[in-house]
Amino acid sequence: MYALVDAVSFYASAEKVFDPSIRNQPVVVLTNNDGCICAVCPIARKLGIPKFEPYFKVKWLLQKHGVVVRSSNYELYADLSERMMNVIARYCDDQYIYSIDESFLYFKNYDCLIKDWHAYGHEIRKAIWKETKLPVGVGFGTTSTLAKAANHAAKKLQGYNGVAVINSTNSAKVILQQMSVNDVWGVGRKISKRLNHQGINNAFQLSTLSPKAIRKEFSVVTERTVNELNGISCLSWDEVKEPKQQIFSMRSFGQRILDVYSLQAALSKHGCIVGKKVRQQSSLVKKLLIFASSSPHDTHYYKQSMIYQFPVATDNSCDIAQAISTVINEIFVPEVRFYRCGVGAIELESRQFQQSDLFMPDKSNPALMTCLDKINNRFGQGTLKVCAESHHEMWQMKRHFLSPQYTSNWKDIPKISCSDRS
Amino acid sequence: MKVIPIYIEAGISGFESPAAEYKELGLSLDQLLIKHPNATFIGQASGQSMEEIGIFDGDLLIVDRSLTLKDGDIIVANFNGCFVCKIIDKVQARLLSASKDHRPVKISAEDDFQVEGIVTRSIRLHHKSSELTACMR
Repeated sequence: MYALVDAVSFYASAEKVFDPSIRNQPVVVLTNNDGCICAVCPIARKLGIPKFEPYFKVKWLLQKHGVVVRSSNYELYADLSERMMNVIARYCDDQYIYSIDESFLYFKNYDCLIKDWHAYGHEIRKAIWKETKLPVGVGFGTTSTLAKAANHAAKKLQGYNGVAVINSTNSAKVILQQMSVNDVWGVGRKISKRLNHQGINNAFQLSTLSPKAIRKEFSVVTERTVNELNGISCLSWDEVKEPKQQIFSMRSFGQRILDVYSLQAALSKHGCIVGKKVRQQSSLVKKLLIFASSSPHDTHYYKQSMIYQFPVATDNSCDIAQAISTVINEIFVPEVRFYRCGVGAIELESRQFQQSDLFMPDKSNPALMTCLDKINNRFGQGTLKVCAESHHEMWQMKRHFLSPQYTSNWKDIPKISCSDRS
Repeated sequence: MKVIPIYIEAGISGFESPAAEYKELGLSLDQLLIKHPNATFIGQASGQSMEEIGIFDGDLLIVDRSLTLKDGDIIVANFNGCFVCKIIDKVQARLLSASKDHRPVKISAEDDFQVEGIVTRSIRLHHKSSELTACMR
């Protein structure tokens, strides 16, 4: 048996954990730079607040209903996610964390231990609510795709109350009939459109198709999905997470950038983020991609990228910043209103298997970088930085409606009143 | 919290300190004070109503959400949209203070009330802490 446990509109729910004054209010959370709505709590959803709309477009609607608006507070979400995942881990010995708020569980040989999966699901839900104050949905299925479908039913369909189980052809049919093909895990928008044209609208119809024919018309991936919907398990999670082959950091700016110094500062900041991630997985950068562009909606779209190859692979943020300063003049063009930029480590080496060069001594200074990371982990990111990152951070993320970092910053810990009525 | 180990050295180079292999040891306040790290959060008390039980303005409260509530526990609750620290009287559904100046508060059906967790420890900072100064008045 498989299970998928995920939080109900995680970001919005996370905002309510340490702010009891908004527990019963409609809440939405905005993406980076306060651009779009990325999470809508169930109360706000009932008011008809749409997801993924640009904030400026629906501002009037939010004001009309008195909706609480928050910027993404990643520090808070990361902490709450970890707590939630740890509680879930108590209920199964094989857990796969699929995303910040989704976790798969695989119950191998549990059938003699757990008689009632419904009750077990409610037990998981209750524990997570009690210990973290996050609402979750739990779906059980005989394959991961069916677990995902059950999870969808648990949260979206009436009468399930947060837990759904698919453990027979009958329970599968009931749920899959009420699920559009678009919502099936692994079926994209394009494929679902083509399926709709053929009169295949719900997941149950999809499950009745011949896997072989599907493979011919679509792909192996869709064939697997059809098999999975029929209870034949064929998707596997990576048992060991491989280190990433490429690491990127990029973002659009809060304000357009017009001068070379701000662009260099922004690129250096991304470079240092890449450097930190590279060190986290004990890799070294051999080739660095450095790019910047104006907005594709501008009349003259400009985009430039440079590849910098290090003579000796490095994980030192200073080397990365140095690389950026050597190519910055090739990227920057006056009068271009830069909209986004980024840095990517496109060729990585493992520190463990590094080839040393007789004539090029390794100058990466791991001790210095360890010290830098330790200080930033202890006192917060950005406490210590490479000078090229600069202090004038007008290109930084816009987060106008940010809630406090209740669990990761001493000055933000929740206030608890010991007086009468405050 | 990690206690910084101090090496005992003889001052003669070439001989490793006999304490070197013990340098990983240390006392962790987290281990002592927090039994259920996943379900625990730290808050700061504000106000005088719990002084007789030893919780003063500015004290840190360690709140465990995983424990089962017992009558007379010191709790943190969401009371009408505000976190409060009180003693729970389950029998009469009241929130009690630990101070003569504050009367019990009856929890009625109209009130928005949820128990957040049980206060298992409180910590008084006799010297000011620079990390916390921003929220001290």
